[in-house]
Amino acid sequence: MNGQETALVICALIGLYAALRIIFERNTMRKLPFLNVLTFAISGSIVLILPHPLAILAAAAYFVGSTLESNAIASTWAGGRKDD
Amino acid sequence: MIDTMSIIFGAIILIGVLATVFSGDPFDKLISLGILIGGIMPFFAYRGLLDILAATALIAPLTTIFILMAMRRHLNES
Repeated sequence: MNGQETALVICALIGLYAALRIIFERNTMRKLPFLNVLTFAISGSIVLILPHPLAILAAAAYFVGSTLESNAIASTWAGGRKDD
Repeated sequence: MIDTMSIIFGAIILIGVLATVFSGDPFDKLISLGILIGGIMPFFAYRGLLDILAATALIAPLTTIFILMAMRRHLNES
């Protein structure tokens, strides 16, 4: 097991831990930081699995998109704008 | 090596599926759907499906945002 595979195993275990923390967390707002942790670990795993420029592009797109998704869920849960 | 990774990411997918089925709050369901989508991405990377990987990475958060727009409209009506 070389260094890259060790990093991949650590990223995957962080993702599994974050998924377990999400399902055992009762408060909805406290689930969202662990969803961010999960998606960051998945982005790192994609790049470590397949070292290719298009894979880096796809991982960056997934990183940005999943962060926007978590922010949209938090914004909608908090009520959004007050003036409409 | 690939077997170990498949077991871990498959466990993430199963956690996402079971949490999506058995959660009651709609926001909890969306968060669990995020776990499920995150779990399927490394399997695309294993097979080298880079175009499908990029398309899924762009489409999946947009789907969640559209569902959230529908949910907010429903919450305002009620």
